[in-house]
Amino acid sequence: MVLTPDFTARPVISFQHVWKRYPTGTEALRDVNLVVPEGDFVFLVGPSGAGKSTLVRLLIREEKPTKGKIFVEGIELGRMKRRQLPFYRRKVGLVFQDFKLLPNLTIYENVAFALRVHGQPDSFIRTRVAEALDTVGLSGKELTYPANLSGGEQQRVAIARALVHAPSMIIADEPTGNLDPATAWEIMQLFMRINARGATVVMATHNREIVDLLRRRVVAIDAGQIARDDRSGRYHDDSSKSQIRAQ
Amino acid sequence: MTILRNLRFALNSAWQSFWRNLAVSLAAVVSITLILILAGVNLLVGHAFSQVLDGFRDKVSEMSINVADDTPLTSVYAFKQELQGDSRVATVRFVTKEEALAEFVRDPNNAVLSQQIQGNPLDAKLEVRVRSLNDVAAIDSMARQWPGVDPTDPTNYQGEFVTRMLQLSQWLGLAGIGLMAILVVVSVVIVMNTIRTAVYHRRKEIEVMKLVGATEWFVRGPFVLEGIMTGVIAAAIALSLLVISYPPAVSRFSADITFIPLTYDPTFISSLARDLLVGGALLGALGSYIGVRRFVRL
Repeated sequence: MVLTPDFTARPVISFQHVWKRYPTGTEALRDVNLVVPEGDFVFLVGPSGAGKSTLVRLLIREEKPTKGKIFVEGIELGRMKRRQLPFYRRKVGLVFQDFKLLPNLTIYENVAFALRVHGQPDSFIRTRVAEALDTVGLSGKELTYPANLSGGEQQRVAIARALVHAPSMIIADEPTGNLDPATAWEIMQLFMRINARGATVVMATHNREIVDLLRRRVVAIDAGQIARDDRSGRYHDDSSKSQIRAQ
Repeated sequence: MTILRNLRFALNSAWQSFWRNLAVSLAAVVSITLILILAGVNLLVGHAFSQVLDGFRDKVSEMSINVADDTPLTSVYAFKQELQGDSRVATVRFVTKEEALAEFVRDPNNAVLSQQIQGNPLDAKLEVRVRSLNDVAAIDSMARQWPGVDPTDPTNYQGEFVTRMLQLSQWLGLAGIGLMAILVVVSVVIVMNTIRTAVYHRRKEIEVMKLVGATEWFVRGPFVLEGIMTGVIAAAIALSLLVISYPPAVSRFSADITFIPLTYDPTFISSLARDLLVGGALLGALGSYIGVRRFVRL
C-alpha cells in the first residue's frame, strides 16, 4: 500500500517496494514505498533501529536495495554504475550527526573541499565558499579550524559544505543529534531557509520538539516499514495518542 | 583544465600528506631504500659476473684448429672457405707455422721456452671465432672430421669447461631473476602495508571525499603520487649509497680474489640509476594502488 500523499509537484525521490536485508540477516526495510516531490521537506522519524539510517544510506547509495527500485531524479540508484556514483553525489548535499569535517583543514578549506573534488577553478570556489559561509552565518571564520568552533558552528560548516555546490536535494542524518536545543533550533531554521529556496530536504531525526514545532511532512518508520506518512504531521501519531488517552 | 586542476590538487595533497605523516612516510622510504639497495647490489653483482662471464665466453668461443704439417694449402683454404660460409662462424683466420712460431716467441710468458726450441714444432692453425657459445661443440666436431686436421692434437676446444660455463651462466641468470622476483614481492607487500597504515589514518578524509562526489581516481591519485614520491626518494638514497660504495667494493674484491677479473664499470651507473628510479617509482605506485584500493572503492 502506498501511503504517500498525492502531491502535484514533480517527484524527485521514489521508493518502489524497497526491501533491504543485510548480510547478517537483519531485515532493515520491508516493502517501503515513498514518493518525495520536488521542494518537499520530509522528516524521517522512528525509534532507533527502525530503518531510518538504512533509508538514508540507500538514498546516498552507500547501500543497494535487496529488492525493489529507488529512483532519484529519474535515475535508478540500484542500477547505477560505480563510475556514475560520484556524479550523482554531486547533485546531493549531505549533512551528518558527526559533522564529518576534516580537522586539519580550515573552515574555508573544508567547504572548498566539496568543490575541489569536482575540479572547479579557484575563482569560482572563492565566490561560492564566501556565499555558503555567509548563508550559514560564518563569514569571518574562514581561517579557523573545526576544533576551535562550537558543535553548532561545526554543523553550520557541514551545512555550508553541503550547500556550496547548489544541490537540488539535501539529505541529513540526525543533524541536530549532537546539539543543544537552542542550537538545534538555529540549525533547523537554516534548513528551512534552504528548503524555502527550492531544495528538497530529507531529514532523519529523533528531535521530537522540532518536528512538532515545524509541522512538516512526517514519515514514521517502524520495524523497517512505513507506519505513517502525514503531510503536516507530528513526531508521534495524534490518533494513537488520542486512542491512548481514550483508554 | 579540470585534469590539470585535479593533478595540481593531487600533487599538493600528496606533498602535504608526505610531510604531515612524516613518521609513516619515513618508514616507507627506509623500507623501500633497503629493498632497492638489495636490488641494486643484485644488479651490480649480476653485472660484474656477466662481465667476467663475457670475458670467459670470448675466450672459449674462439678455438684453434691445428693443421697437420702434410696438409696441402689448397685443402686448408678450401676448409677455411667452408667455415667462412657457415652461419655459426663469425671469423676465420689462417695462421701459418711461421706466424704461429713468431706469435709464440713474442709472448713474454714463453721467453724461456722459446730459447730452447729447435726448428718449428708448432702447427699451422685456423683460428675460428664462433658466434654462439652453444655452437662451439658442433664446429669442433666438424673440424675433427676434416682430413687436414692434426690427428694428435686436433683442436684446443675444452668441451667440459664450456658446458660448465654455460650451466653456470644459466644458473646465475635464474638466481638473479629469482632474487629479483622475491625482492619485488616483498617490497610491494611492505609498501602496500605502509601505505595502508597511512590510508587508515586518513580514512575519514577519504570517506568525506567520496561523500562529496570525488571519483575513485581523484581519491586514489594523491596516494599513488605519494607512493611514487616515496619510491623515487628511496631510489635516490639507495643509488647514492651504491654509487659511493661500488668502486671501493670492487677494488677490495679484486685485491682479495685475484682469479676473478672483476672491474669497475662507470657506464653501468646510468643504467643502474634508471632501473632503480623506475623500479622505486613503480614499487611505490603499485604498493599505494593496492594499499588504498579497499578504502577507495565506492
